[in-house]
Amino acid sequence: MSADTVPAAGSAQDRLTPPSRPRRMPRATLYWIAKHALAIALALMFLGPLVFIALTALMTDAQALTSQLWPQSWNWGNFSEIFTTTPLLRWIVNTMVYSLSATALMLASSVPVAYALARIRFRGRKTAFLLVILMMLLPPQVVAVPIYTLWASMGLTNSLWPLIIPMVFGDAFSIFLLRQFMLTIPREYSDAARVDGCGEFTTMLRVILPMARPAIAAVALFQFFYCWNDYYGPLLYASTNADSWTLSLGIASFKALHSVQWNLTMAATILVMAPVIIVFFLAQKVFIEGVTLTGVKG
Amino acid sequence: MTAFLKPRAPSPRWRRRGTVLALLAPWLIGFTVFFAYPMASTVYYSFHRFDLFTAEFIGLDNYWYFLGDERAHLAFRNTLWLVAVLVPAQMVFGLGVAQLVVRLKAGAGFFRTVFFLPSLVPTVAGTVGFVFLLNPATGPVNGLLSAAGIEGPDWYGDPAWAKPGLVLLALWGIGNLMVIFMAALLDVPRHLYEAAAIDGAGALRQFRSITLPTISPVLMFSAVTGVIQAMQYFTQAWITSRVAAGATDSPGSSYTPGYPDGSLLTFPQWLFQTAFRDFSMGYASVLALIMFVISMLFILILLRRFRAFGDEGA
Amino acid sequence: MRRRLFTVLLAGSTALSLTACTAGAPPAGPEAGPKKEEPQTITLWHGFSVDSEVKAFSDALALFKTKYPHITVNAVKGVDDDRIIQAIRGGTPPDVAASFTTDNVGQFCKTGIFQDLKPYLEAAKVDIDVFPKVVQSYTEFEGKRCVMPLLADAYGMYYNKALMKGKQPPKTLSELTALAKELTVREPNGDIKVAGFLPSGDFYENSASHLGPMTGAKWYNPDGTSAIGSDPAWKALLTWQKELVDWYGHDKLEKFRKGLGDEWSADNAFHKGKVVMHVDGEWRNAMLANTAPDLEYGTAPLPVADDRPELYGGGFVSGTIVGVPRGSKHPQAAWELIRFLTTDTEALVTLSNGTRNIPTTQAARQSPNLKKDANYQTFLDIFDNPNISTLPSHINSAFNQETLQEFITRYEAGRATDLAGGLAKVDKTINDRLRLSAG
Repeated sequence: MSADTVPAAGSAQDRLTPPSRPRRMPRATLYWIAKHALAIALALMFLGPLVFIALTALMTDAQALTSQLWPQSWNWGNFSEIFTTTPLLRWIVNTMVYSLSATALMLASSVPVAYALARIRFRGRKTAFLLVILMMLLPPQVVAVPIYTLWASMGLTNSLWPLIIPMVFGDAFSIFLLRQFMLTIPREYSDAARVDGCGEFTTMLRVILPMARPAIAAVALFQFFYCWNDYYGPLLYASTNADSWTLSLGIASFKALHSVQWNLTMAATILVMAPVIIVFFLAQKVFIEGVTLTGVKG
Repeated sequence: MTAFLKPRAPSPRWRRRGTVLALLAPWLIGFTVFFAYPMASTVYYSFHRFDLFTAEFIGLDNYWYFLGDERAHLAFRNTLWLVAVLVPAQMVFGLGVAQLVVRLKAGAGFFRTVFFLPSLVPTVAGTVGFVFLLNPATGPVNGLLSAAGIEGPDWYGDPAWAKPGLVLLALWGIGNLMVIFMAALLDVPRHLYEAAAIDGAGALRQFRSITLPTISPVLMFSAVTGVIQAMQYFTQAWITSRVAAGATDSPGSSYTPGYPDGSLLTFPQWLFQTAFRDFSMGYASVLALIMFVISMLFILILLRRFRAFGDEGA
Repeated sequence: MRRRLFTVLLAGSTALSLTACTAGAPPAGPEAGPKKEEPQTITLWHGFSVDSEVKAFSDALALFKTKYPHITVNAVKGVDDDRIIQAIRGGTPPDVAASFTTDNVGQFCKTGIFQDLKPYLEAAKVDIDVFPKVVQSYTEFEGKRCVMPLLADAYGMYYNKALMKGKQPPKTLSELTALAKELTVREPNGDIKVAGFLPSGDFYENSASHLGPMTGAKWYNPDGTSAIGSDPAWKALLTWQKELVDWYGHDKLEKFRKGLGDEWSADNAFHKGKVVMHVDGEWRNAMLANTAPDLEYGTAPLPVADDRPELYGGGFVSGTIVGVPRGSKHPQAAWELIRFLTTDTEALVTLSNGTRNIPTTQAARQSPNLKKDANYQTFLDIFDNPNISTLPSHINSAFNQETLQEFITRYEAGRATDLAGGLAKVDKTINDRLRLSAG
């Protein structure tokens, strides 16, 4: 794959228009209406759940137990009530700490590995890359028992450390994506750097890193959101210690632990979704390009 | 190290090897500690009765127990169901939505954003939301259905509808696949369509003979990674069955894993329950090894198909 | 950290040839850790989460602080057994842990998750016979006592006086069925508006362990294998339950159940007058007083099978338990707290007045400070009845209950029809698991 196959967002219409056969106007108009009507219907179905969740979040608890759709009164206080009945702030802080530190460590450790795999020829490179793919694709549950035992022997199974520390040693998925991207950077750039007498480290930092910025941004975003959404990891390691709960853990046990009704549960759900959606609108381009990167063609 | 002791400057080859090692060092350690050692250790534990306190050698007992463990078999079938139904459903729907969006003349950017948005919703929040939306008594979905004169099912309370309910949740979060497929569709050279149109090929013909073959590598890659993700399917099912059962984490709460009737019990869930709730970690290691073998099958398919990964420049 | 990991890596490769890899400190006795006289802070995990109960518990801890001013207790509320077990096994236990359920006592004692209390009891000369026999039985396993009973729970029937229309509470299952049908109110479309009695096994407190005593159903044979398939009492219970479920219509019942409020909230179905007769524990008295003070209700023992009238007056009894986890860093102070909470009359009365749980010692039950009214007295009487039963300790108790519960859910829904065959299969699943975990 090459970088220029990543489509720019606006190019949809220019590059793929259905073949124009000579047709009578009405048919084309009908076709136009049909596909836009379908798109609008689909859009309603995609947005529906979010709207219903938001509406329920504003109901009284009694009304949330009925099948009515529209709030009789608008209870904005539900949102502030969550902060008083649950340690939501603590969950947010923990989630931020987990996501940010894991992302930073992942970048520091994965970029050099990807660089070595993509830009340096050495014996065993192919094997190393195969192992990266294997680690990326094998379900984490396969090795969960011994790893849990390992962390337990260090007394860390009541914290988020078992999720953060491994990032010091690189993340297979990020290495894979970064490597794929770095392969597409033409050789001439690093050759030029070498002629100037730069070593591998300097070449990596000065030449390749700036050029790989889109891929780095993408893996950073993915890692951040993976951590932000992660449930399995915190459930395994942090659930015994309420002080290190993340948002995912909190929201999942919200209804059970705090004996609350659907309205507050939905309000909490909205609060968890909001930052993610805001970040998306701020960094939409990075998102879309990043996702496109993952759809690697062989 | 030896180079360090020598008075003269190390040869370029040695320096190069040192650089590579330095760059790879973190990952090499990670691979050993978090992958190679645990793999070997899993095999070791699978022959033991291990509960984190003591490990007692019991030969093949854990393996024999698996043969008679009906919940493990049920979990296995549920995971297979997800692989066989969820993955194709996602692919077809994702491709359909992508096709639609690339053909839109007005508002393509807006629709793409709308269709992508739900895939950003945190898994836990989306899942809890869906359990509410599909609640037979208080959820708006059955409310709307009954307004239309249809008696809605008990979704996550009925084993026949629970997994289809999760498919709905998955289709809602199709955004990533849609974006990937859109990119692939836009890569199809336009002149192929024009040539086909001149030959009088209809839309369906064009899709079959031009679009599909051209984007098939992307489809294949998505299918295999989809299968691997489906095999790890945990969070949505785990939370759905707990919230839908009304589990209260209190005494007398009669929560059974995979409620209703174990229809949402996936293989990773049973592994988790066995290892980290019941602490039958020896038996859990057997389950892990089974998962390893099956995942490897799919990974080998993927690697065979994409040998190019290892090659220069891809 | 990295250096630590290298060590672990080395240890890991050798571990392959060793037999045991253990987490946490080995069990410590009453002599371990700081002396009980030293100033120290200990952590206590407990299961209470409803505000009034948490307050009662803090009151009892405040009482402890006045008597042992040098020991500060840091209490963590709302902790369930999954967390307790995982923390202790993972080597990060609290100093004291109280569990809301006796389900895991078998596992706790057998595998040493909680320390054997024998040396503590002997050193402090505590007489275990202040507790009734049944309470003693659910806090030990195979003769090993690793937890103390904190407060007890008894299960009975609550009924909404206004909705009973002057009827007396039923004493037999057939009376319950007849009355439930009579008192049920439906919407014009057949949906349930008010249920006379909600028989679903997944409803609030309707678990098999709580309902089993109505027909005198037995869980285990003396060797720990399952007696569920061979005891006709289970068939009697499930046949009765199924008949009533079918009368309502399973889908109507499920739709009704899923529209009810949370059990532990003020929207509880009984508080809201959605069910007329209701199985619940004695604590419901406290919650009704707090969030539905105007509701007029009465209490009675649970009805029993028509052919077992002698069982009437008893019921299911269980309780909260508390112990010193393996790896506790302050076992001596922990034990002082446990001894205080479980045997001090004033502490028990304080806890009981706040939570309405039943004090486990005779002295506390007879204390003049214990507030009593007719509805609470019902549960004290049930507790003193010779026909009470509890869930026997078993190494896989939680797993076994899940197995039976899952079958009950399927049978109720009509997705399993062969009652005898299904129960026999429950037996097999339980017995297979017993072999795996006990060898």
